Amino acid sequence: MPIWNTGEECLDVEERAQMQLERLQSTLNRAYKNVPYYRNRLQEKGIEPSQIEALVDLQQIPFTAREDFSDNYPYGLFAVPLRDVVRIHTAQGSALKPTVSGFTKPDLAVWREMVARALYASGVSKSDILQIDVDPGLINWGRAYKDGAEAIESSVIPLTILTPEKQLMLLRDYKTSVLITSHSAAKQMMHLVFRANLNPNELALKTVILVGEPPEVAIQERLKDELHVKTWVHYGLSEVPGPALAFECEARQGLHVSEDHFFPEVVDPATGRAVPEGEAGELVLTTLTTRAFPLVRYRTGDRVRLVPGTCPCGRSLSRIEWLPSRTDEMRVIRGVKVNHQQILYLIERTLGFLPPSHRFLIRSEDLRDFLEVWLKVDEALFSDEVKGMERLCLRLDRELTQELGVPVKIRLKEEGSFQSQPFSPLIEDLRQQFPG
Amino acid sequence: MLRVRNLKCYYGKIRAINAVSLSVRPRELIALIGANGAGKSTLLQAICGLLPNWEGEILFDKESLQGFKAPAIVQRGISLVPEGRLLFAPMTVLDNLRLGAYLRYRKRDHQRIGEDLESVMELFPVLRERAGQPAGTLSGGEQQMLAIARALMARPRLLLLDEPSMGLAPFLVRLILDTLVQLKEQGMTILLIEQNARAALQIADRGYVLENGQIVLDGAAADLLADQDVKRAYLGKDYREFYEGRA
Repeated sequence: MPIWNTGEECLDVEERAQMQLERLQSTLNRAYKNVPYYRNRLQEKGIEPSQIEALVDLQQIPFTAREDFSDNYPYGLFAVPLRDVVRIHTAQGSALKPTVSGFTKPDLAVWREMVARALYASGVSKSDILQIDVDPGLINWGRAYKDGAEAIESSVIPLTILTPEKQLMLLRDYKTSVLITSHSAAKQMMHLVFRANLNPNELALKTVILVGEPPEVAIQERLKDELHVKTWVHYGLSEVPGPALAFECEARQGLHVSEDHFFPEVVDPATGRAVPEGEAGELVLTTLTTRAFPLVRYRTGDRVRLVPGTCPCGRSLSRIEWLPSRTDEMRVIRGVKVNHQQILYLIERTLGFLPPSHRFLIRSEDLRDFLEVWLKVDEALFSDEVKGMERLCLRLDRELTQELGVPVKIRLKEEGSFQSQPFSPLIEDLRQQFPG
Repeated sequence: MLRVRNLKCYYGKIRAINAVSLSVRPRELIALIGANGAGKSTLLQAICGLLPNWEGEILFDKESLQGFKAPAIVQRGISLVPEGRLLFAPMTVLDNLRLGAYLRYRKRDHQRIGEDLESVMELFPVLRERAGQPAGTLSGGEQQMLAIARALMARPRLLLLDEPSMGLAPFLVRLILDTLVQLKEQGMTILLIEQNARAALQIADRGYVLENGQIVLDGAAADLLADQDVKRAYLGKDYREFYEGRA
């Protein structure tokens, strides 16, 4: 399989370590100089950027967490004047405020290059018709994938919010050969193909790129067997700054991290200390080239393991194995990250109060994953008009769907539903395992 | 080829270079840009062994240059074209060139020195015309050419240049920089220090921006050329002016 940027992707390991150190130091110098948040954090610890003399010294620097994005809303973490920013992205935050990230023109070029290299490794070429179908919660990725695919000169069908049935119609009629989607949406698409009595051989589809969720082997096997496609996994960050910062190559031995732009660390989520090489832990990322929105030791919440050794594909970029489940309270629905605090806040905002009993479930119907919210009907919620209750459900449904970017169902339940068994205050995952 | 890690240089108690890391790969032309007093020349002096007491690591072909004096470093293949040229003004052009090969004369490398004299005079034909003239009588551009030619006479593998465009008319700057491109094409590795950021980045492969003794930016020269921060540094405008009306 061809390599998009041999110079960077196959760079001599020692040469790369030098380059990473140079880039890390200049990133820290910029962050220290231009972002008060980072300067204060370092000063609290009595660290100056010049003390970071090796890549391992990075471990002295405090982590950046998702909460820091909302605390510095909107532009507090920008390292360049707004005049230099050419794109501003809004993504879900963990708290009340969304996450705002910015891109300079060179930043966008870097993303274009990174996405292009990931797509190229998945065998995407200029003769492909590439369809992007991710949930609204991942809309920023839609843009990045469009840019990257255009760099390869594929024919791109950009992200358009359509029903799954319409997406399938496009897939069939436009002769899509590459589909970028989440595991959940791919699962559903496969279901629709068979429900519509479509012969998979009538489709031009040959490649499915799975994003947003850790790979589920069973789904990939089914996709391969039943739709006769190759599947590839890309890893990205939905909050900031984008998709495809790690990608699978034909050797299928983990995902190559674009280490020329991101420095990966794997830490023990409990202690924050680096895990021994090859052991599982939380992925922590530091940007090396980003100008507008540098991240220093950002805790992703994703569980990974660094794959030791060299890859037969020839790339010297180190590899991660993306493991299921997360190290934090976030849950991933159709590639979109959702957390219970956020749901609580949205309910309270919409209703004006928070019903005392509630349950949040991830369920699946016709292989379509969605979030189900149970609320206990009490005096405050009760209305003697059925219409009134329906209206309330609709309003909540609309608000949550819009804000979270995933499908939501509201269920009003009686007291008994909350008494039967102890349940988690967090989001419960009740999706049936996909039959292998 | 050249690898600098965490270099710190001091003038007394003042730290002029504060943990700088940079690298020059074989056959690359690297531009190091930055304002006056950013520490550019200090950095070059440390590499050339003209500055004692630096800390950190300077590796040339994976060999540390720590403790080496200037002649030893020239012998290893690094030549400097210093800021302000520093020619031997009363001496002739030819003698200046011969002095560039001083270490080689001691090794009795006469024949190859003669060939190199020919080749630098081919590179700068004006030096042949002025060969017998005292260096001090040359124009600014000619003096710069002589300074470069003298550095080449040591047969370096890495050529360091400190502000070669300083005080020259734009067409002469062009001429000097074109020569550097020509040298690069012939296989020379070059580290170029310039205040004239635009001119330097136009011919460089990669660049580093030095500010207050620290690298604040690095990347492909074309990217830096398009960079707002570099434009600001180049134009000498400060953040506030760019911020106004926007933030």
